[in-house]
Amino acid sequence: MARARQKARPEGHKEKTKNVLITGVTTSIGRNLVTHLANDPQVGVLLGVARGEKPYYFNDIPPERFVYRQCDILKPRELKNLFLSKTFRETDINSVVHLAFQNRPVRGENTHRLNVEGTRDLLRKCLETPCIDKFVFKSSDVVYKLLPHNPAYLDENADLNFDPTADQWVKDRVDADMICRSFMDNVHVKIVILRMTNIIGRNIEGQFNSYFDSKPVIKTMGFNPLVNLLHMKDVIQAITLALMKNVHGIYNIGGLDTAPITTFADLNGSTVLSLPEPILAPVNWLQRKLGLTDYYYSVDKERQKYTALLDISKAQRVLGYKPKGRIEFSH
Amino acid sequence: MNKRQRKTALAIARRLMPPEEFDRVMSIEINDLGFGYDQFGMEKEMAVLSYAVARYVYLYWFRVESEGHENIPKTGSALIVPNHSGVVPVDAAMVGVDILQKAERPRIMRAVVDNFMGFLPWVNVFFNRVGQVVGARRNFQDLLSNGELCAVFPEGTRGIGKPFNRRYNLAKFAVGFVELSLANKTPIIPTAIVGAEEQAPMIGNLKPIARLLNFPYFPITLTFPWLGPIGLVPFPTKYHIAYGEPMEFYREYGPEVLDDPEKIRMLADKVQLVVQDMINHGLEKRTSIFGIGEN
Repeated sequence: MARARQKARPEGHKEKTKNVLITGVTTSIGRNLVTHLANDPQVGVLLGVARGEKPYYFNDIPPERFVYRQCDILKPRELKNLFLSKTFRETDINSVVHLAFQNRPVRGENTHRLNVEGTRDLLRKCLETPCIDKFVFKSSDVVYKLLPHNPAYLDENADLNFDPTADQWVKDRVDADMICRSFMDNVHVKIVILRMTNIIGRNIEGQFNSYFDSKPVIKTMGFNPLVNLLHMKDVIQAITLALMKNVHGIYNIGGLDTAPITTFADLNGSTVLSLPEPILAPVNWLQRKLGLTDYYYSVDKERQKYTALLDISKAQRVLGYKPKGRIEFSH
Repeated sequence: MNKRQRKTALAIARRLMPPEEFDRVMSIEINDLGFGYDQFGMEKEMAVLSYAVARYVYLYWFRVESEGHENIPKTGSALIVPNHSGVVPVDAAMVGVDILQKAERPRIMRAVVDNFMGFLPWVNVFFNRVGQVVGARRNFQDLLSNGELCAVFPEGTRGIGKPFNRRYNLAKFAVGFVELSLANKTPIIPTAIVGAEEQAPMIGNLKPIARLLNFPYFPITLTFPWLGPIGLVPFPTKYHIAYGEPMEFYREYGPEVLDDPEKIRMLADKVQLVVQDMINHGLEKRTSIFGIGEN
């Protein structure tokens, strides 16, 4: 019935009140998103879910705006109970933002399950739930295949990285992206995939954050590609726009700051060590063992060599996205 | 480069050329994304320093003479389409220096280079910093949309890797530049470079080594590989560069031509013929490979 009541709206038209389920709400993006949406008059109620207990920092948000629920989306029973729960029904959830990922490229079955199976199960549940009409998936630019002859800007149609030798974490991100993409034609749930570039900021678990905090920053000798960095402010802006606008599809999301790796490392006050490519992996392994970095070189082998900036013109045109945040460096 | 390095680069460049020339080169503008680089990684300070060094090669090694600068537009996109030769692609650098030095308004020439440049350590960084761009179609499109002066070598690596006995016979032009010219309403400036073919006469090509190294060719010249890397230093032949009248196909042909491969091929052939004519004319005028006896 809920579906029958929905009227077709032109793409780009703004939706009215949004009641949003946010998975992975305890991640830094989740936390910032909740803080932002809780002050947005177009948003009704936010239902945040994560595996752990409710963190203290959500205590300041009025309970009529934000409800926290403990849930492991990998457990079918818990996921089912979430969608059947009184909280879910009472909050009249109509949108989902999926942020529950292992953002650090750690190995293992749990990472794969969360990043791929978690996405698949959640999406399937959303497609089965009539009241949900929007699913926003935060993807990443690691899904793109990087080659030396790539154009400087990659648009949403660029080749994805299906390289069988790619790092498992990258393969998982590609799989999750593909799962969402394969349901893009669903008429009831509008699926939005946001492929974001490197997010940088305090308390953010991300490859490039770890990279620039490495001691020292190791770099492929003879290469110094441009990289683009994304401010948390713009991550939140993009997710909010994806939620509010009556759109679906894939959108690249990039930030304002673009420069070679060494420039950002300099600005961060990091020491850069250029090494021949064959020894980078063992040196990075040693750095991790010695606690000098959380960065995984194997994920970024190609990104250390070839420039691949995201073409955000589609997001600008359709979503109205406009990057505003400048990264502040210590130097 | 960081701020200090940039300052040093400009100080060196200033010492290497007369003040008025330094001011002229410094007047070039780049589409700075915020940290002194454009979207392709070009850095003004590096480009100016490279120019300061390359102008000595231009003035004293190849003793370049050129004509037809009035055909290079002062603003807006344009496509410089020269022949390409000489094993080591310094001909492109000499055209770039020539335009910066002698065109009515100094402009950076954005050469679209072969894909294999992206593989080469250090070379790829240097090429990007001085404004060269890997030949992806999207890059080309972006450059023209930004109103840049681009150079494309439709012979590609077949041009620079051709044997000595085929000198000044153009290899078949690729057609992509015609399509982009029509799509972006960009004039094509046919350009002839005479002198580069003799700078490193290629007498053989070690294909297995080229394949192994992922290079388009592995040259055997009179001096390479016998003298090691020094053998790649070109002979000091005298260069003559001529810029022809702009060819504006977009005035005659509408966008529907883009769907007609035969017409596109025909237009590419037309450009090739003009360039070949200009080369032949230059060869007739030339009295000596090394410029002996020329003023």
